[in-house]
Amino acid sequence: MGILSLLIFLPLFVTLLILVLPESAGRMYKYLALGITVIQLGISLYLYQVFDVSSAGINQVNGYQFVEQLPWIRMDLGSIGLLEIDYFVGVDGISLPLIVLSTLVMLMAIGASWNMTKSGKGYYALLMLLNTAVVGIFSALDFFLFYVFYEVMLLPLYFLIGIWGGERREYAAIKFFIYTLLGSVFMLLVIVGLYFSVVNPATGAHTFNMLLMMDPGNYTPDSFFAYANTYHNVLGLEPRLIGFIILFFAFAIKVPIVPLHTWLPDAHVEAPTPVSIILAGVLLKIGGYGIIRVCYSIFPDMAALTNWWIALIGVVSILYGALNALAQKDLKRMIAYSSVSHMGFVLLGIASLTAEGVSGAMFQMISHGFLSAALFFLVGVIYDRVHDRYIYNFRGLASLMPKYTAYVAIAFFASLGLPGFSAFIGEAFVIIGAFNAESMATGLPRWMAIGGSLGILLSAAYFLWTLQRMFFGQTRLFGGQAWQSALTDLSAREQIVLFPALALALLLGIAPSLIFNNLNSSVLQLIDLIKPFL
Amino acid sequence: MNGLLNISPVYASILVVMLPFFGFLMQAVLGKKSNSGNIGLATIILSVCVSFFAVFLPVWNGAPLTERMHWFTVGGKPFYVGVMLNNLTVLMQLIVGIIALPVHIYSRAYMRNDPGIHRYWMFLSFFCFAMLGLTISTSLLQLYVFWELVGFASYLLIGFWFTKESAVQANKKAFIINRIGDIGFLIGIALVYTHCGTVDLGELFGPQGVFLPAVNADGSWLTLAGLAFFLGAMAKSAQFPLHVWLPDAMEGPTSVSSLIHAATMVAAGVFLLCTIFPLFNETVLLTIAIIGCITALSAAIFALGQYDIKKILAFSTISQLGFMMVGVGIGSWDTAMFHLATHAFFKCLLFLAAGAVIHEMAHFKATHQLDIDPQDLRNMGGLRRYLPTTFVCMTIASLALAGFPLTTGYLSKDSIVVQAFEWGFHLGGIYLLIPTTLAAVSLLTAFYIGRLLFKTFFGKFKFAEKLQKGELHDAPIAMTGPMIFLAACCLFPTCSFHPFDYHQSWLLGGFHVKTAFAAVAEMHSAVPLVLTLGALAAWGVGWRWYVAKRYPLSKNNRWVRFATRQGYFNEFYQLLFVKGTEQLSRGVYAFDHYVVDGLTRTFSAATRRLSVAAHWFDRHMVDGLVNLIAGTTYYVGHLVRHVQNGQLQSYLGFALTVVVLGILYLIIK
Repeated sequence: MGILSLLIFLPLFVTLLILVLPESAGRMYKYLALGITVIQLGISLYLYQVFDVSSAGINQVNGYQFVEQLPWIRMDLGSIGLLEIDYFVGVDGISLPLIVLSTLVMLMAIGASWNMTKSGKGYYALLMLLNTAVVGIFSALDFFLFYVFYEVMLLPLYFLIGIWGGERREYAAIKFFIYTLLGSVFMLLVIVGLYFSVVNPATGAHTFNMLLMMDPGNYTPDSFFAYANTYHNVLGLEPRLIGFIILFFAFAIKVPIVPLHTWLPDAHVEAPTPVSIILAGVLLKIGGYGIIRVCYSIFPDMAALTNWWIALIGVVSILYGALNALAQKDLKRMIAYSSVSHMGFVLLGIASLTAEGVSGAMFQMISHGFLSAALFFLVGVIYDRVHDRYIYNFRGLASLMPKYTAYVAIAFFASLGLPGFSAFIGEAFVIIGAFNAESMATGLPRWMAIGGSLGILLSAAYFLWTLQRMFFGQTRLFGGQAWQSALTDLSAREQIVLFPALALALLLGIAPSLIFNNLNSSVLQLIDLIKPFL
Repeated sequence: MNGLLNISPVYASILVVMLPFFGFLMQAVLGKKSNSGNIGLATIILSVCVSFFAVFLPVWNGAPLTERMHWFTVGGKPFYVGVMLNNLTVLMQLIVGIIALPVHIYSRAYMRNDPGIHRYWMFLSFFCFAMLGLTISTSLLQLYVFWELVGFASYLLIGFWFTKESAVQANKKAFIINRIGDIGFLIGIALVYTHCGTVDLGELFGPQGVFLPAVNADGSWLTLAGLAFFLGAMAKSAQFPLHVWLPDAMEGPTSVSSLIHAATMVAAGVFLLCTIFPLFNETVLLTIAIIGCITALSAAIFALGQYDIKKILAFSTISQLGFMMVGVGIGSWDTAMFHLATHAFFKCLLFLAAGAVIHEMAHFKATHQLDIDPQDLRNMGGLRRYLPTTFVCMTIASLALAGFPLTTGYLSKDSIVVQAFEWGFHLGGIYLLIPTTLAAVSLLTAFYIGRLLFKTFFGKFKFAEKLQKGELHDAPIAMTGPMIFLAACCLFPTCSFHPFDYHQSWLLGGFHVKTAFAAVAEMHSAVPLVLTLGALAAWGVGWRWYVAKRYPLSKNNRWVRFATRQGYFNEFYQLLFVKGTEQLSRGVYAFDHYVVDGLTRTFSAATRRLSVAAHWFDRHMVDGLVNLIAGTTYYVGHLVRHVQNGQLQSYLGFALTVVVLGILYLIIK
């Protein structure tokens, strides 16, 4: 068992352990979960440390590291040929930073669930199952395996929101589940289509291997998804375009893009704090990762064809999300919409098809990962104390909770892109990349970059408004004296969870090369993959 | 000292920047345990010493020095951070330090006993770090980082008294308006990066830079980039129409206003334009000159109508920044830097002196439990008898602002106005409007600052009958000391040994700017003469109006109200942008809630309806069909059952009927 498999399946092992442990060992669960996520973080950091930054990955199998490839399912299907499904995992510069991010966010989520009392057994078992699925998604290189992890991820989330959530938890859970399932069901169709179009040159069998799908030479001529297909068309459209669009929408629902984002505010608001943290910190990144790893790498020709539209969706998401955030009165909903806006930068950056833009998008994903986790945690702090998040019910919290206010102010300023924090690097390079797109002839007009930069202005508006409205001024609370005594400042545990996230935002803002170094060759490889089709 | 001189200016300048940062960290760690401000003071003293002896002296008029190190690589493009030392940057760094030092000393007395004083020192040190770092940045991206950090420090300090509603409104406004400029700056950087492939100032503007004087004639992108950078400078330097944040920023402590919102941070826009000057083509320069001119004029007019002592000074700052912008716009950015330097001293002094006055007024208000605004000119008067040192200092600073001879302001303002006239004559025609306006604004400047002096220090104190002996007095030496130092710096020997000829100034001599227009000898004597006489006349009128109490205008005069209300810009912006954005965001949210999410809900409702219909269909149609068949079969069976009733008669009867029917059939056939 390789180290990557260990990373993926450790939490699954803990899930089983938690399930067999008797209910009397209930206090053990969280320590088990904590211990295993710490170990996971350690392993992922070790991988990050020994990662060879010069090898690119993307579409070359020898560019991937910590690769494990084992035959998983081999079945003779007669005239259709041999069914070839591998257990195939590996990481490159795109996936490794996200793996580190997800192990970190998981740890934060465990920290945030520390005082959770409702049926801990199921809770931690599901959380660990989710953990396995997420790391699995980021490392799978076989499409079938990827899909399995992708679906496994849905199950624990459904229950985590539906059982441990807020008042309208069932509505939110179903909405989230159906939305994601809608995307993944269609994804399955495209996976099967790709399977029948691609042949493994070594064995002559059809394959689910994603890296083989990225090489145009492996497509059988006349197959459904073959390049420059003239035999098949669907409603007058080229099948490759259809396949690309379907896959894009499957992942775009996760990102989420406007107008497929409405599951997000509901899911975030109803989910318990730790699940909000995981949703915003990791799950949205699966969307961005999928677009890079699957859509753009397997369909580079369509990526080049459609990037104008994708960038437009990105710009619309940025502005639309920001304007919505400005209109919110529920703090958690405000942050949920700000996620829509910030993830719009990811789309804009990816669609710019420039090294700066794609790097900026990746950086933005990582930075948004732990910043939004920190933001949701901060909302949770106040909700734990008074069970209210309505912005107008609070005023002048700074006098009451100075430490909390300092953390909120830092998190807000980091999120609105103050230089010195990571979000600035991400957003600045997305904008620079989008401007550069015209010079690189990737087909993005400059007004999109300018439109995106307006989002930076709006983010300052909604964060500062909230800061001013809730934290400054004379203390005045809706709940009066009862709230005043309930609203105690941050506890040590809460600071332990928050401090690393904000310190990391600062560290990455000052030394972005910590991410960029591991990213650069993969990003350049991706650009090289797409460039011939521009 | 020798050891200090021997270290490389590059490392010394890094030390200059890092010392306040160290002070910030110390203060942040110590928190409430250290309220004295000694840490901040010590670090800034050290910083200024190093800046002067180890950076300024070795570099000034010497060879420029650049040192940079790799920061990160994106794709294949490396980005660097580092230090760039040349006449412009070391001068700016020195000015920032020298202004920051007296402000630190002053703050020790001014802010004493404030419950949040530890935060004050922390933020102040942080500001010094960011501002000093801004001056010597080597790449546009690095400059941008510090540019936003000074804005952040300004946000923190404007909102220092965070329980005060107006203060937190003001800092929000300041940050958001500065963000508009920051976006411009960022767009400028992006444009330069895509077209030149680098954002390194040395590679762009250095001796072998991209922007050699003759090369930059091509491309509309250059105009766009120039305007984008100028947008950044406009917001930071409070140029019309983005000036509205600066008067509101006066909600911060006065010492902060003097350092950040008068002398250093707001001048960063001018500094930026001087740094990237070769990038600007004629269109951009003309825009800069026009905007600068409008700013100078409008702010001077608004200053006339203010009653708040700090707001007058704020508008005065805006107006003077407009002068500097014109200096850049006409191509002689050296004069802009010169005015920036002299302005830093006298405007800082004006604020510190105003702070001393406000301090006394606030005390007076507290003792007598009056409900007055301690910053309102109408509550003052005759204070020169009680605060003589403050009065003298403020007068010197006012003379410098008004441009009277023997002050530094005289030299620097004349250098801009004279060169503007030369520029105007060179281009002719309508271009002369700009220098003429500047001359008129100079007179307005003299008038409004005269008004401030007269209303504060002359006449009779409004609450004289309540005043007890010795109640109003000069501030302690910790406050007057810095003021006296700054007052000394407002006199001409600071920048030139010749009191009347700005060409002799060592400061201008350091820049060697070649202008396109020729010198006009007559202007060098005519302009100073006319401006000085005009300023005298303005003070004469001011004396007559405010001291001799022969005020000719009605209080409700429409123009006075226009000036007092700052040209209704705040109301206009509030209505158009703030309310507009609020409405838009609410509309968008309604759209999101009712249309986008509504579609989802409609879809799910439709699915549920469909499933109900399917259920109905299944139950009544599909299952109905099955039941129908079953029912029919049963019924038919039920009917046929009667045949098998076991009675012989019936069987025979049936047989007979069948036989008869068979016979009938055969017959008919």
